[in-house]
Order: sequence, then C-alpha cells, then structure tokens
Amino acid sequence: MDYLPAIATLCLGFIFGYLGQRARMCFIGGMRDWWLVKDTYLLKGLFAFFISALIGFSIFHFLAPAIKTFPWFINGGNLFAAKWSKIGVSATPSFMLPVPGDPITWSYKIGAHLILAIIGGLGVGFISTFAGGCPFRQHVMAAEGSRSAILYIFGLIVGAILFHKIIAPFVKALLL
Amino acid sequence: MKITATIVGIVAGFLAAFVQAFMHVIPPPAYGICIACHMRDLVNWIVAHIYPIYGLSKGKLIIPGGPVSYYIPVLTVIGVLIGASFAARINNEFRWKTMRVAWQKPWVEFFWGIGFMISALLMGGCPIRTALKSAYLDITAIIGFFMIFIGVIIACELIKKIS
Repeated sequence: MDYLPAIATLCLGFIFGYLGQRARMCFIGGMRDWWLVKDTYLLKGLFAFFISALIGFSIFHFLAPAIKTFPWFINGGNLFAAKWSKIGVSATPSFMLPVPGDPITWSYKIGAHLILAIIGGLGVGFISTFAGGCPFRQHVMAAEGSRSAILYIFGLIVGAILFHKIIAPFVKALLL
Repeated sequence: MKITATIVGIVAGFLAAFVQAFMHVIPPPAYGICIACHMRDLVNWIVAHIYPIYGLSKGKLIIPGGPVSYYIPVLTVIGVLIGASFAARINNEFRWKTMRVAWQKPWVEFFWGIGFMISALLMGGCPIRTALKSAYLDITAIIGFFMIFIGVIIACELIKKIS
C-alpha cells in the first residue's frame, strides 16, 4: 500500500509528460501568449485543466472517502468548518492537513497565508516568464535536449534544499 | 488525432482528481500533479536518506514535504522526464540546443530555478498545483493565481521594454 502513490504518480507523470510534449503544454505560457500576442491556444488548456479538475473533485467527493476534504477554502485554517459541517460538508478535518517539517503550509494565521500567496505568486509569475515557461514545460524541454532547461532543473534542486534549510525557518520566525 | 492543449488539460485535471481519490495521494489535499512540490519531496527524501542529519528533528527522522512521500517519494518528475523524452525520441524531436536570449542562457537559468523554487514553495505550489488548489476551492490559491497573472504581465512589459 505504501508503494501505491509512487506508482500512480509515476504513471500519471508518464502520461502527462507524453501528452504535454505533443501539445507543448505550458501553464505560464498560456497567460504570456494571451497578454503578448492574444493567442489563446495554451490558455484554453489551462482553463480546461481547471474545469476538469473541479468536475473531477466534485464527482469523486461523493464516491471516494479519501477526498472528503474537498471544499478547502483556507489553507490550513478551519474558518468555515463549523458552519459547513452543519449542512453535511466536512471542510478541512485538521488531522489531514499538518505537513511534518513543512511549517509554512500549516498555520492557523490566515493573514500570513495571504501575504505568502501574494509574494510567492508575484515571484512565480515573474520568474517563470523570464525563464521561458512553467516548471512542467522546463522538464519537457529538458527531455527534448535543452541545456538551459537542464540547468533550470538543477536550480530547482538547489532551491528546494535552500528553502528548507534557510528560508523556511526565517519566514516561520517572521510571520507564523 | 492531433493532441491539443485542451485535451491535455482535460485528461490531466481528471487524472489528478482520480489519483487523489483512489490512489491515496492524499495527506496534503490537491496533491495529484505538482512539479515543484514533488521535486521537493524527491530531493528531500534522497538527501535525508543520504545525510540523516538533514531531516533530523528531536531525534526523529522527519522528511520535509508531504506525508505521502514518507516511505516512497512521489515520482511525477521522473515520470514526466521519461514520458517527454519517450515522446521526443519517437517523433524525432530530440536535439541538443541552447537558448540564445540573454536571460535564458544556462547559468542564468540556474538562478531562475533557485528563485522559482523558493517563491513557489512560499506560495505552496507551482502554477499547476495552484490551478489544482483553485479547483479545490482554496482562497489563498485563487489569490495566488491572480498574483501569478500580475507577475506575468509585469514580466511581459519588462521584456517588451528591454528587447
């Protein structure tokens, strides 16, 4: 049972990578193309992803026990839990949410989450546009043989280690 | 059949929900597809198993990241690399190339990678997982999505100006 998530995500990644290479799928690229040249080919993919995931979550919410956290509302905060449990919707049972060792995604302070979302969102959009695509597109380009994208992936690895050793304790001391 | 981005979006979104519902990719919800988070899980799992001091906290081995990847990390990144290189090989699209633009040279791109990972983990996911969390009706993710759009606009205007 412990191997199931790894195998499932490996297969999902294989399918997603294959299709993404054929369709040159990119999430940041959709917004960029729409803003620069009014091309909606990739933006349609982004909205299709959003709507399909929404429909999928809504359907599986009634089928599978693992997805009872569906209306999430606030990252980690139990703001609407009492209100929504009265009408039968279980929002964010707290035992599902704590992420060990990842202090930032687990906090009751909603303002901290909003500040982090604003800072991180600006950074993600800005950097991804300059780097030439979202990380998924960079992985596909690395598999197509782009040296820039391969160095980008090494940057991701170093960034993950830097984040958990330096940035996360700093942000935790500052905000949470 | 020609594969368009719309088809990829529909398939990927539905599979992300399916994997969470039936394949136990759950403890952080909406964790089906994410490149940054899954890369983080994989890296932290490997580093914490090579150097146990990295993940040690109060005498217990705690791997920073999602609880799904405590025993075996999620392998989306490996899957994407294998699938994309498979598709590139069988369609003869593989060739070595380097970007010529000044801000997409390899060593500049390395620092973009570091900056991207830090800001993505501050927000709680790469653009894919932000879209997925927005579909999960998370308000912070929806705000983050709009901020991503504003960041893209700023960068586009900057690129227009300097190029």
